[in-house]
Amino acid sequence: MDFQGILDRLTAIRAPGLVGSDEPRKADPKDKKDKGRAGDPFAIVDAQLLSEFVRACRDDDRLHFEQLVDLTATDPSKDAAELWINVQLLSLKFRHRLAIKALLPKAAASLPSLVPVYRASQWHERECAEMFGIRFVGHPDPRNILLPDDWVGSPLRKDYEFPKEYHGISCE
Amino acid sequence: MANEVTNTMPPSTRLRRTDASEVTVDIRTPDLEINFGPQHPATHGVMRVLMRTDGELVTGAQPHLGYLHRCAEKIGENVEWLQYLPYTDRYDYLASMNNNLGYSLAVEALLGVEIPRRATLIRIICAELNRIGSHLVAFGTYGLDIGAFTPFLYCFREREWMMSLFEKICGARLTYSYIRIGGVFNDAPPGWFEEVARFCDVFEQKWPEYVDLLLVNQIYVKRTANVGVISREMALDFGLSGTMVRGSGIDWDLRRDMPYMCYGEIWRDGAFTIPVAKGEMGALGDCWDRSWVRVMEMMESIKIVRWCLDHMVDGAVIGELPKTLKVPAGEAYVGIENPRGELGHYVVSDGGKVSVRTRVRGPSFCNLAVLEDILPGSLVGDAVAIIGSTDIVVGETDR
Amino acid sequence: MTPAHMLVQEAAPVTVGSGSNAFLEGLVATLGEYLPQWALWLGAAVTGVAIVMGLISLIAMFSVWLERKVAGHIQCRYGPMYVGWHGWLQSIADGVKLLLKEDMIPRDADRLLFMIAPALVLAAIVAAMAAYPLAPGVFFADLDLGVFFVIAMSSMTTIGVVMAGWASNSKWTVFGAMREAAQVVAYEIPLGVALLVPVMVAGTLNLREASELQSDWYGMGWFMFKNPFMLPAFVLYFIAALAETKRAPFDLPEAESELVAGFMTEYSGIRWSFFFMEEYAAMFLMSALAAVFFLGGFESPLTWAAGEFFGRELFVAGANGAKELNLQAIPYHAVAGLTLLIKTFAGIFLMMWLRWTLPRVRVDQVMTMGYKYLTPLALACALGAALWEAGKQALLG
Repeated sequence: MDFQGILDRLTAIRAPGLVGSDEPRKADPKDKKDKGRAGDPFAIVDAQLLSEFVRACRDDDRLHFEQLVDLTATDPSKDAAELWINVQLLSLKFRHRLAIKALLPKAAASLPSLVPVYRASQWHERECAEMFGIRFVGHPDPRNILLPDDWVGSPLRKDYEFPKEYHGISCE
Repeated sequence: MANEVTNTMPPSTRLRRTDASEVTVDIRTPDLEINFGPQHPATHGVMRVLMRTDGELVTGAQPHLGYLHRCAEKIGENVEWLQYLPYTDRYDYLASMNNNLGYSLAVEALLGVEIPRRATLIRIICAELNRIGSHLVAFGTYGLDIGAFTPFLYCFREREWMMSLFEKICGARLTYSYIRIGGVFNDAPPGWFEEVARFCDVFEQKWPEYVDLLLVNQIYVKRTANVGVISREMALDFGLSGTMVRGSGIDWDLRRDMPYMCYGEIWRDGAFTIPVAKGEMGALGDCWDRSWVRVMEMMESIKIVRWCLDHMVDGAVIGELPKTLKVPAGEAYVGIENPRGELGHYVVSDGGKVSVRTRVRGPSFCNLAVLEDILPGSLVGDAVAIIGSTDIVVGETDR
Repeated sequence: MTPAHMLVQEAAPVTVGSGSNAFLEGLVATLGEYLPQWALWLGAAVTGVAIVMGLISLIAMFSVWLERKVAGHIQCRYGPMYVGWHGWLQSIADGVKLLLKEDMIPRDADRLLFMIAPALVLAAIVAAMAAYPLAPGVFFADLDLGVFFVIAMSSMTTIGVVMAGWASNSKWTVFGAMREAAQVVAYEIPLGVALLVPVMVAGTLNLREASELQSDWYGMGWFMFKNPFMLPAFVLYFIAALAETKRAPFDLPEAESELVAGFMTEYSGIRWSFFFMEEYAAMFLMSALAAVFFLGGFESPLTWAAGEFFGRELFVAGANGAKELNLQAIPYHAVAGLTLLIKTFAGIFLMMWLRWTLPRVRVDQVMTMGYKYLTPLALACALGAALWEAGKQALLG
């Protein structure tokens, strides 16, 4: 199915947490400031209901998203108040993908874990947690995965300050 | 699994008094906790697996990553679009062409440029040759893990030729930075295509050697059949891709099912097939199946290369792009079929010279997650076989 | 009684055959005129050990070069080519390098055991080498125990290996040591039982006598052709020998890709080279046993012809009744010794060939093969050979 078909199906099954969608568009000739948006369409979902949303995506017969391909986060800019959670789902049976975005306030970055739905998200969530400081509630093993266990800070946030030294080794 | 050593029998059963004159003592000893890595010949890079073993039987495994973490994603937010290309070479350094390709396709999805046909065909040739090279390393080093020293050198003999082909076209042997945004950066020198055709012919003759010497060798079969079985459900639940799913009997290949560049055209012409394991030597989804898929895929790549050589056209090899690239605002995810699985690049742009987010979905990272589940219950020798069969490159696992 | 007999008697009480130490008697007779008895003792002991050590070193050096060339050519490359003609000086260069290396002992290792282990391993093999017959009339000790002694001494190397694994204070080396112990114990049985077949046919454990018994049929009267159960016994013996000497496909104790270097991981420099020398010396001995008991030992048509032409006795009764050296017989002994050497190295070549071709068998499969397949087969072979011999005796008298 194409994106519109997936979106219609999601609305039809009343997938929990579906807030809206965003699709690429050309620049608006009337508005000089609007450059348009390139790339992929994605669905916008409420972060707290993300886990149930992907469960609905996985369990529905017409959507049949067997695999979670990617779960990551983005910090759009230093001034932005919200982080994005980006999820990519894949259906092998129907050969379609779905990109999902959930907005998470930086001040209260926590949401239920997707591990009960897809085991694949276990390691992705660990990476997100250490890189962005997001807390995944209910994650079975919330340790750092790529960074050392005693690392301070969330490196991929835009306001991250590099440490001056680590265990006596200078980082200049 | 915490870091302390624990007894496997509860204290109450260790020492039992049956009556005044008889005492039973449980002689079970605590499990051994050993570090498999980070310096170890068989972990395919700098990776550590904290294993708990009861003698030779593995009772628990916990991979520890991050020894090769080089902050690729953070760097992506600090360098310009085109400057990021050499970093992409270095995550899966055995299949650099494919990494370049994935990144370039993702950025081109945002740019919306048209890639010249000649560039697309050369890209496919390079990607498939690199796939052959990567599988040769995977198969050869897997033989080394199992204890067969010779097939490794036979595989590297062909790989040397592949690397010299790449050296002729772009000057580098391992990290190419050849496939760039908009096309490829250099046209093929005269005689290159003829040499590629010769390589294909010679490789086709040498390929049965790998099968005879290693793949159907009884000792190899006994070491890899029924070992590390990944069921279909586990493969889907863990988000595995590439040889890992085809080795478990799932017929899925991004080149055919979600085609990019002209793979759809090549598939419709019937030029190649997708080898899917059938569980010939043991349970479906064991290590033998995965190595079988890799060996078969090498021949399929040869067929794709031959198709591209036959359909080669003249023309430009790179589109017109400004020196300092400003990519239109937006976000795109493009997943391609890397030798190890689905390599995904998720790029976010705000219209500037530098990306807002360059996310790399490394297939080795996702494929490695099954280790915690399939290692317990195997022997230490099997653990080596299983880790080798996941065909991970730690550069891609850690990025 | 000659000094060599004294040495052997101290090691183990053996009965020495009467007419078999012509060489030593002759030597003692010639030298006894000049030196006192105790000097002859000491001289004999030191010379014996020195020659054996020298022999082992030469064998190890040559085997290392052979292994690297064989490995290279099987892998479509040349192997060492720079140091000397086709790299024949490479072993010497490696030896010099190893001598110059820093002697590292891990801080928490058991120092005494760590240092003793390689010495023990080498000492066991040096002792076993005493039974190797250099030529029909030239040997270190004519042991009636022969093959029994060799197998017993070469099994002692296991103690050294387990010691090395334990003393290194590393979990991986302990793995290697445990695997070694299990593997060697498992394959002792098929090794011994498979050797029982030619011993039955020969009727003697003595290597020299067994070789002499194969001199009929113009030098082709090898035991291999004298009993239909010899060929399966040979195959079983060879497989068991591969397992005993820790060669691929049974190189688990030193499995490179699993245990880095197994029990040898923490050893470097000369200590490590002791293990290496022991490995090649053990290979040499196992191959020599196969050559002597299955493949005719000294005998071949060339040896037979040389014997006919030159004469076989090295020490003949001289003019005044004492034994003196028969120079004319030396070419025969040289040819015979060379024949045995060639057969031994053919066996070594086969072992090397197998190492670079076959993958490694897993530890539980090694045990299964040893206990469940090789042992019953070896016992069946021995039984069949015994019945054959008995039947032959009954029918032919």
